[in-house]
Amino acid sequence: MSLSLIFTDELKGFYKSKVMVALWIIFPIITILIHYLAPGVESETSFSVFTSIFISSIGGLIASLILTVQIIHEKDARAYDLFLIRPIKRWYLPVSKFFAVFICVTIAISIALSVGIAIDILQNEVIINFVLPSIIDSFVMTISVIAISSAFGVLLGIVSPSIIVGVLIVIFIGQYVEILPLIPVLIGIRNSVLFVTLLGIFITILLMIIAIIAFRRKQF
Amino acid sequence: MKKKIKCPNCMTIHIVKGVPNQQINVKCPSCGNIGNFTFEGNISKQSIHSNKMVVLRNVSKRYKQLLALNNVSFEINRGEVFGYIGPNGAGKTTTIKIMIDLISKNSGEVYINGISIPEGKNKVHGLIGYLPQDVGFQKWRTVDHALMTFGRLSGLDKNTTSKKINEILNWMNLGHIRHKKIIKLSGGMVQKIGLAQALLHNPKLLILDEPLAGLDPEGRFFIKELIKKLSSNGTTVFFSSHILSDVKDLATKICILDLGRIVKIGNFDELHSEFTSENHLEVVLSKNTGKWSKINNIKGVKKIIEKKPNEFIIHIDRSIDNDEIIHKIISEFLKNNCHIRSVNILTPSLDEIYQYYLTKGESKP
Repeated sequence: MSLSLIFTDELKGFYKSKVMVALWIIFPIITILIHYLAPGVESETSFSVFTSIFISSIGGLIASLILTVQIIHEKDARAYDLFLIRPIKRWYLPVSKFFAVFICVTIAISIALSVGIAIDILQNEVIINFVLPSIIDSFVMTISVIAISSAFGVLLGIVSPSIIVGVLIVIFIGQYVEILPLIPVLIGIRNSVLFVTLLGIFITILLMIIAIIAFRRKQF
Repeated sequence: MKKKIKCPNCMTIHIVKGVPNQQINVKCPSCGNIGNFTFEGNISKQSIHSNKMVVLRNVSKRYKQLLALNNVSFEINRGEVFGYIGPNGAGKTTTIKIMIDLISKNSGEVYINGISIPEGKNKVHGLIGYLPQDVGFQKWRTVDHALMTFGRLSGLDKNTTSKKINEILNWMNLGHIRHKKIIKLSGGMVQKIGLAQALLHNPKLLILDEPLAGLDPEGRFFIKELIKKLSSNGTTVFFSSHILSDVKDLATKICILDLGRIVKIGNFDELHSEFTSENHLEVVLSKNTGKWSKINNIKGVKKIIEKKPNEFIIHIDRSIDNDEIIHKIISEFLKNNCHIRSVNILTPSLDEIYQYYLTKGESKP
């Protein structure tokens, strides 16, 4: 009960936040802008696939930044003290935050991706049945990147001593962590989506386990 | 064999090693009474703390090179108001955070309601209400949302939590801010919301870290009255404070902490009695004939200081019946045709006593 309560609360907190509302609006707008400002992209691949890849790279960074900054801020404001003196397990907090941001950013990206697909269909430039598998593949890759980025953001929020340090690490190191699940694609493995998914799950769980251990040991 | 004994003076139960049915001569750690104690019988681990809400034994905490707590031990009985005082950096907040397992200790034992911390923390957390020194909330929460979450995490159902929020906010005259965002409230109001979250689930132990700091006189009065009310209802209250006059007003037991060590623990009278062996009597005359020198000869009068014309401070030995001495002093003034305007027994302030213990007797009169 406590876990679902904390998770629901965090979800409400995120989806009502200005950053998240902006993402839900900004991502589709970026999609449309790309379509009009870079019309050449459709010649190489479908617009929706391009959008998916583009948005996922931004989405991962944003998920990491949101979580890192919020956790450090709440930690500094001593907002967790009042949770931790109640009969709940410590890991509920980082896990709830992870899922709340992961779900919200995934929804934002899905909206943007839907806009991309809609543009493809409306312009009749590609046959949707032909590109649908690649859209699904890129969506799965996107989800993997978002999951790893969110877990990385949680971990960094817990261990980072200040917001500035946290943000710098996200910007300079986070991008390398995010592309880890894409290694199977980069080295050209067959069934790379399956490997991407498995690798994404594995790295996310690993980062979250480290984050939970760090949070449990944290001296508040 | 470990046994429990009951002090005949303060009725506190202590644990000692000894032989059954044998009388032993020990000093009571709580009240200092020395005498013969009789064993009460065998005890179980649970009954060790049966009348204790908080027990700390030899708790130490080190932050790298700094020894923040050095073998801190104290016990708090159920229903007591425990005032924890000490200068900045003495280790007050560290003690509190160890008690509620926000930080870990390096050594020692902590029991809350007879349950060991941190092993049984989840059982204990439901009994505790805690107000941190700098209370913080997630910035997106409204007052209602925050209190609802904390009430439910403390084990209350939705309806009960809602009723309790209503009750507490109305009692604090804060009903109008229930649906406001906490981030938009003043510091004093946030402090009160912090207190509200600590009270939602009727805790058996209320831990308040500097609850009176930064509050206006009205807010301080409110919290002092609250502590008195909760104490009278049987709630054990642990609070740290720098405002010593408030500690003296509220605490039934006072603990002075300095540089991570407990310097003194006891009720105000016990702290006072070690501070000085004298009581001071202030006598103000409206008519002074000057014929009062025989007062020096009254047994128990140690010295007379003429502070101003017609104002005297008479030092009296505490070990002799002070009522009798005061009666003799007044009689002597009257017999010599002096007119008395006022007579006051001067009690040293807690600030003086506190300074005395911190400076290890350098300021002892």
